Amino acid sequence: MVGPQYDLLANPLGAVRSTFDAAIATGSDPTSLNNRDWGVIDLFRNLLSDQSHLSQVPLLTPATVRYVKPYTLVRFRGMIQDMLGNEFYVGAFKDGSVWRTNKFTDFCQHSIPVGCSADTPIWERRLLYCVPVPGLNSWAEPSAEAVGNPSMDWTSEQREKRRRGDEESPSNMPVEGDEVEGSPNTKRMREGECTSPASQSHGAVPEIAGSSMSLLPGLNGNSSSCIVKVYDTPESELKLNDIFEFVGILTSDPELQEDNEDSDLSNGFGEDPLHHFPADKVPRLHCFIHRKLSVQDFLQNKPIIEPKPDLVKGIRESLLRHLSAVLGNDEVAAHFMLLHLLSKVEARVDALAVGKFSVNFTCFSKETASIGKQLNHAVKNLVPFTHCMPLTVQYLNTASLAPKKNYDTNRLETGVLQLAEGSHLIVDETQLKAGTLNSVGVENARLLKNVMELQKVEYDFKYYKMEMATDVQLLVLSEGKSNILPADVIVPIRPSATICLEAVAAEALEAWRWYLATVRQLPHSFESETQQVVESDLVAAIQADRSLNTQDLSRLVTMGRLMCLSFGETTLSLEHWQMTKELERLRRERLN
Amino acid sequence: MNTKGFDFNNDRAIAREFLKDFADVNGQAKYLLILQDVANHKTRSVEIDLEDLINYKDLDEEFLSRVTENTRRYIGIFADAIDELMPEPTETFVDDDHDILMTQRSDEGTEGADGSDPHQKMPPEIRRFFEVYIKASSKGRPFTIREVKASNIGQLVRIAGIVTRCSDVKPLMQVAVYTCEDCGFEIYQEVTARVFMPLFECPSKRCVMNKSKGNVILQLRASKFLRFQEAKIQELAEHVPKGHIPRTMTVHLRGELTRKVSPGDVVELSGIFLPIPYVGFRAMRAGLVADTYLEAMSVTHFKKKYEEYELIGDEEEQIKRLAEDGDIYDKLARSLAPEIFGHEDIKKALLLLLVGAPHRTLKDGMKIRGDLHICLMGDPGVAKSQLLKHIINVAPRGVYTTGKGSSGVGLTAAVQKDPVTNEMVLEGGALVLSDMGICAIDEFDKMDESDRTSIHEVMEQQTVSIAKAGITTSLNARTAVLAAANPAWGRYDLRRTPAENINLPPALLSRFDLLWLILDRADMDNDLEMARHVVYVHQNKESPALGFTPLEPSLLRAYISTARRLSPTVPRELEEYIASAYSSIRQEEAKSTTPHSYTTIRTLLSILRISAALARLRFSETVAQSDVDEALRLMQMSKFSLYSDDRQRSGLDAISDIYSILRDEAARSSRMDVNYRDALNWISRKGYSEAQLKECLEEYAALNVWQIHPQTFDIKFIDA
Repeated sequence: MVGPQYDLLANPLGAVRSTFDAAIATGSDPTSLNNRDWGVIDLFRNLLSDQSHLSQVPLLTPATVRYVKPYTLVRFRGMIQDMLGNEFYVGAFKDGSVWRTNKFTDFCQHSIPVGCSADTPIWERRLLYCVPVPGLNSWAEPSAEAVGNPSMDWTSEQREKRRRGDEESPSNMPVEGDEVEGSPNTKRMREGECTSPASQSHGAVPEIAGSSMSLLPGLNGNSSSCIVKVYDTPESELKLNDIFEFVGILTSDPELQEDNEDSDLSNGFGEDPLHHFPADKVPRLHCFIHRKLSVQDFLQNKPIIEPKPDLVKGIRESLLRHLSAVLGNDEVAAHFMLLHLLSKVEARVDALAVGKFSVNFTCFSKETASIGKQLNHAVKNLVPFTHCMPLTVQYLNTASLAPKKNYDTNRLETGVLQLAEGSHLIVDETQLKAGTLNSVGVENARLLKNVMELQKVEYDFKYYKMEMATDVQLLVLSEGKSNILPADVIVPIRPSATICLEAVAAEALEAWRWYLATVRQLPHSFESETQQVVESDLVAAIQADRSLNTQDLSRLVTMGRLMCLSFGETTLSLEHWQMTKELERLRRERLN
Repeated sequence: MNTKGFDFNNDRAIAREFLKDFADVNGQAKYLLILQDVANHKTRSVEIDLEDLINYKDLDEEFLSRVTENTRRYIGIFADAIDELMPEPTETFVDDDHDILMTQRSDEGTEGADGSDPHQKMPPEIRRFFEVYIKASSKGRPFTIREVKASNIGQLVRIAGIVTRCSDVKPLMQVAVYTCEDCGFEIYQEVTARVFMPLFECPSKRCVMNKSKGNVILQLRASKFLRFQEAKIQELAEHVPKGHIPRTMTVHLRGELTRKVSPGDVVELSGIFLPIPYVGFRAMRAGLVADTYLEAMSVTHFKKKYEEYELIGDEEEQIKRLAEDGDIYDKLARSLAPEIFGHEDIKKALLLLLVGAPHRTLKDGMKIRGDLHICLMGDPGVAKSQLLKHIINVAPRGVYTTGKGSSGVGLTAAVQKDPVTNEMVLEGGALVLSDMGICAIDEFDKMDESDRTSIHEVMEQQTVSIAKAGITTSLNARTAVLAAANPAWGRYDLRRTPAENINLPPALLSRFDLLWLILDRADMDNDLEMARHVVYVHQNKESPALGFTPLEPSLLRAYISTARRLSPTVPRELEEYIASAYSSIRQEEAKSTTPHSYTTIRTLLSILRISAALARLRFSETVAQSDVDEALRLMQMSKFSLYSDDRQRSGLDAISDIYSILRDEAARSSRMDVNYRDALNWISRKGYSEAQLKECLEEYAALNVWQIHPQTFDIKFIDA
């Protein structure tokens, strides 16, 4: 493998160029390089397989977007919120007698010969619109050092520049700034192809600074989204609502601001999919490497430990104590809460989502309302992505829960229920008053019910609806049994003591987060003896209560499985099955 | 370039030969006929079907592949070839402006001698009255939008999708014609892109030589325009892989293809996948990123009716093999919702619902419906809804809704104010939308009162009449209703009578051909089965194997659609059999003190319908006695599911049952004497033997209920 002659982090395009030239030199036909890698990906994969190198790559966040230089290597963590389809571009072209490539860039530094199509093969790349993971809790956000260590000198240079920019143009119009700073830069890039990385970035930095500054008042969650351009990846690898870490080249071309006057002619129809994402608001990332992230990747200071039974048991006990304290010393409810937090959709068999375990805590009243708040707080501290939905008639009638395709903008407008895998959703029904639902409300209630029962959300594509599978842990808080949202189990809470929450130590929190993230992923199996016992117990349960149906049985088995997982074990033992049955008995007692 | 030009000349010759020589199956020169129509101004479009090119006797494979790879160029080549072949009109037609202009031009043509000037040479487009389309071969599966890649650019592709947006139809300039104020020449400018730069100076030799910079004026009437429409299509839901978002594509429709699609249409398009040339400021980027669109060549609407279902690939073969298999009825029924355990008879009934019977229209215009209506009633959690949803998936046209329906339109139809135009518009509900299909209504018992009244009409007359806000009309709703309902108290209460449990009025119930009760009964085997299933699912993350391979839904659909093409008739010899069966059901009901069922003439029609559906499944044109027997059995089973307790009681004692049959029959005809042969007929219809009859006669004679004639065994009742 060629040693990194280039600073891969600061000038990744150099690497793209040199490997392309090398591939051409070895006799590859440039037109045949479509959908193929010519060694760039391997180069970066080798480099970044080393954790220390990876951590040097700055992470793109609203905070860092101002400082990161364009045309450098960056990381972006986010959820795929929309897929904008394919973009066709001239993949390679002949500049005089030299072949050049446009892969991994938005902007061409050379003039492209117009005409002969044989010399300008058209390649394609996929556009993904990514947003920060919805409901990401502050503790799961990357810490300062994880973001990447910005070198002091260019940060200060940056500040200087900005001050100067302020003096020069007090109005700070983005367009103005772009024109002033942008054009000489691009000119220079056109003139000399071998612009040194430093000067290239030097020229480009003020642009992005200018644009981000002008955005500061309106800076919100939207600005931290990113359009990722993916090359040569099988479609099945990247799915909607998946959380990924992308490593690639950040590009920003304010000069290519969309020319809106054009759209009058084109009838607003044949427009560019990127029309609605001005480059100064949404950065583009040309992706080299992508990696699917799990909940564990969001833990800070990962304690690398094997899930040893005694250790797990210790953490389990302390977490249970914490949960029961939150729930007003209600041990039974705490147990259910623990199982609930460990649940995930294991498989989908026929229409059923096996492994889901939604809980409905009932008997909330005015006196116990504070428990709901604390529970919400506790969940936020334990699980990386959380949501709380205060269910009121007004909310149901107005909220847009399901994502909806807007054909005018050709975008998928997100809804509250477009959630990443493993999100936690609390539906607080305690504030719900009697009222009338309009058609939106009815539809929303139906959607919530579908999520609850099938773990599926219907995305509205106007001409048809598409069911998307989700994996969301649902917790319902209500006064009586919730009829709108039929949860898997109903647990009336019995808070005994007045709640006095002691502060939780940071280490304990980290241990719990690690525990929840790790134990949840464990595989699971049955032993044949236990299986027999379980089967006969289930039959006995049906005989005792004819109202039990398949879902109820399935839920019981799920409980058993979660119970055994909570001890960090992978096979269901009789002991844990007994515990499960006992827990169920206690719950049923409360119901009557 | 020169060699290429030669190639194209060569290909033009090939194209001309093809157009001239191609003969379709009837031996007629298909394209010459079309050209004659064009010459007579009867048609504008010349559609060249690639299929014909494949079937052409002197097929040049390379020519074919060149046409598919570089279609746009070859449209021009075919157009040139057509120009050469264009026959003289054989009919007279009224000259329009265009023709008058053309004759003028051809007169002047000789004068404008400086033909070397490209702007003065008349482009062939302006002379053409026709448009050439090359239609992709309809063999094989069309592409999904996702599958169209960069490598397809410039090629002819066939794509299936749903239309999401359509622009207005606008004129698109094809040839701009100017006249020069100075020299008076007509100047032509061909327009190939959507935007063009108009001429301002006369480019003719005379003006250039005189340096007069002649002022040119655009002549709108002389220019040639094409109708142009832009549309967006989106991938169909079934083509989108899990976890992905449907892709969209821009489609340009020109000339005769405009106004063929509207939003919501499911279409199959063949067209050329092309990059859009950028204009203006965007051209700066043009070298780098290209927008693409599909230049439509043909538009086909997808049909979603059984009658128009087209068999794909080897389906015909498979259906034939299935039909020869004797067990087709069971096999098809089992393949419905295979993941739902048991319920064989219900599945059979549902299969018959899918197949249906032919509609009949009597001479006096009265219509007799052929659609079967089925109602499933049962405890919660017995997979009723799943059955319904599965049936909808199998049916090519089906709507699933709940009785409480979410929209204001409800089940039938409503007059609503259009939010944009403020006009009153009629909006069809689920039943109207499922015309010629199946409408599955869950929670039937929770239906709105207004819908419940109008559903009576739908289920028998198969129309929805509406008289609201000045709109009085009747909409077709030829739909088979599949309803699911819960018993009156949520769960079926065995202590109450079925009539009390069923929460529906008799008028509605009688409209259902079959009414099924699915009860969740205590049964050790069933329970164990259920427990095993649950544990298995959790352990293996999949459903246990079924023990048979269910047929693919697509094959099921194909089979059913083939079956639906038949309309079986009842042969004369079966009429008596059916009539007697019907009268015996009526008898049974009359004798019973608590009639459970409401046997009316509708029941007779039901028997006929079910029998016809069964005959269709056998691919038979006549109903056989076995069909009628199976129909009666299904009706009986559906009743037993409701009144199983009665069955047990009455089934125990054959002797007393025979007695009651005889007594009822005698009472009906108010006779005291019963002929032995009649008696034997009555009881054998109920499935009893002669021996049982004899036993009965003796037993009751001993009780002095009747006297038996010693020789003829005729019965004489003794009046008490």
